[in-house]
Amino acid sequence: MAHDEKLIKDLEAKADIVRRNIFTIFDSSQMGHAGGTMSLVEIVTALYFHHLKFDPKNCEWPERDRVVLSKAHCCEAIYAILVELGVLSKDLLSTYYRYGSPLQGHADRWCTPCIDYSGGSLGQGLSFANGLAYAEKLKAIINPPSLKSAMPRFIRKDNPIYRVYSIVGDGECHEGQIWEAAMFAAKFKLDNLINIVDYNKFSLDGPTNEVMPLEPFVEKWKSFGWYVIEVDGHNLRQLVDAYDLVCNLYGDLKPKCIIAHTVKGHGVPYWEEAHTHIGRGEDISKGVQEGRAKYGEV
Amino acid sequence: MVKYSKHVKIDGGKAVVADGINNGMMKAAEKDERIIAVLEDMGFPGVGWFKENAPERIIECGIAEANAAVVAAGLAAEGFVPFIHSFAFAVVSRACNQIRQSILQDRFNVKLLGREGAWGEPGISHNHIEIIGITRVMPNLVIVDPADVIEAEKAIMAIADYYGPAFLKIEASPPPLKIFTEDYPFDLGKAYMVKDGKDATIIACGYMLTESILTGEILEKEGIDVRILNMSTIKPLDNEAVIKAAEETGAIVTAENASIVGGLGEAVATALAEYAPAPLIRVGIEDEFSQSGRILPEIDELKTHFGLGAEDVALSVKECMAKREALKKRR
Repeated sequence: MAHDEKLIKDLEAKADIVRRNIFTIFDSSQMGHAGGTMSLVEIVTALYFHHLKFDPKNCEWPERDRVVLSKAHCCEAIYAILVELGVLSKDLLSTYYRYGSPLQGHADRWCTPCIDYSGGSLGQGLSFANGLAYAEKLKAIINPPSLKSAMPRFIRKDNPIYRVYSIVGDGECHEGQIWEAAMFAAKFKLDNLINIVDYNKFSLDGPTNEVMPLEPFVEKWKSFGWYVIEVDGHNLRQLVDAYDLVCNLYGDLKPKCIIAHTVKGHGVPYWEEAHTHIGRGEDISKGVQEGRAKYGEV
Repeated sequence: MVKYSKHVKIDGGKAVVADGINNGMMKAAEKDERIIAVLEDMGFPGVGWFKENAPERIIECGIAEANAAVVAAGLAAEGFVPFIHSFAFAVVSRACNQIRQSILQDRFNVKLLGREGAWGEPGISHNHIEIIGITRVMPNLVIVDPADVIEAEKAIMAIADYYGPAFLKIEASPPPLKIFTEDYPFDLGKAYMVKDGKDATIIACGYMLTESILTGEILEKEGIDVRILNMSTIKPLDNEAVIKAAEETGAIVTAENASIVGGLGEAVATALAEYAPAPLIRVGIEDEFSQSGRILPEIDELKTHFGLGAEDVALSVKECMAKREALKKRR
């Protein structure tokens, strides 16, 4: 059944709040991965504010869905969301990149609550997600009391104990390890694993498909044994529908890949035109100014 | 007749380390249901036990070590205790960055079992002499190089019990002496004095403990009473044992089946320089690569090539004692 218009409107409003929080982060740090963070906003907004099994008051909830941000340089988007969810206080937004801050330059599991993976070196997150997804399958079979997050010893057929969401960038799909991980997930039938590709078409040196051609991208994932769906990564209705669809397919013994077509720097014309990867100084302040004019201030 | 410590019994018998690894792995896996065997198409110690008793705890990753290392990290994040096994160059060096970011940064409870030491038939690619140096610089990683079949078994059990990442070096050849008794108390992070002595100290790890014991017997005949320390845990290093040896014997020789660059010798050198300066000679492989070599009844080709035999170590002990005397005179 289709979601009503109100939900989509609410999510759009949330996405604007997330953007405003991101501008606060960039404004104080005067540096950041503007392009990849902005392209990610709707993907993570739909995930955290609608879809995810997640309790902001209990980050260690054993049955929570796991989120592995493999493109961990775009953690600004997640920080912005965790602030809106009340996991982090708003004051922290201006401490990004600072010594001792829980908002580290790249997502760090031990510094920031509700972060499941410490990334930075690209291409590894999908493998980590594999490990988490395999562990979910194992916990349904073996369940020693010594396992910290022990589950009742029964197998739920309609739903896994938790799902694992991996978010990778298109640039990091140049890494061989992504494809090692893709083979692994298919071999072990990890239908509890959902990989989202933020396909913003640009990496640091230029268009991703010129740096090293990825296309035919959808066919690649399909041939590796994945269920693949393409969406407009800035269309919240398409995103929530896609999340629903891949979850309803649980039990088909296939890992799922959502290829989200996005625009690098989305929402801020200056960053969109420049395909800004990482910005400093004026690159950032100019974009923040434009963005605030469009989306308002916090 | 050389007098050894309580838990040492040398009768000339030999046994491959791999047997101890297999036994230890089976015992540990039986005891702890969280232990998972992560394979990289290179078999696994005690794999027969896993196949029979817990096939769901075998994860075959194929020849894709980068993925395997990070999958293991994910399993550890959920409370499991994955052991990854392959050649040392594959399980560790091939996946250095993965181990650094996905295992060590968060101190996930993953165990790395790396085969092949400095010499053996496979040649330059497999005889991974740099492995101790590579692993020593990695924060949060415990490094163990067991000396014989009994210690190998106990070391596996010990790293299974220890919470945190650990690397265990498995030397495929040549087979070491049977050194320790069944009741040998292996203590992770502590050196064990195999033989006391007052004239000099040999600090050895892995296979080189065998050569060091033979060295002790050679020197005994010449009236030199050498102390032998088994430093199977290379990191964290037992600094106290090193300092005590320096203070009581005044001459130290390290012996390792690995490159002396970054190896046990360097770890000991740092401890000596900082806490108890004493003359030191490092026996190991100079800054060069290995090659293929056979172990025949009449000659161990690579041991001879690298100068890692008991006679070589004995010469180094005497040289180190001479250094100590020369230093005394100068003072």
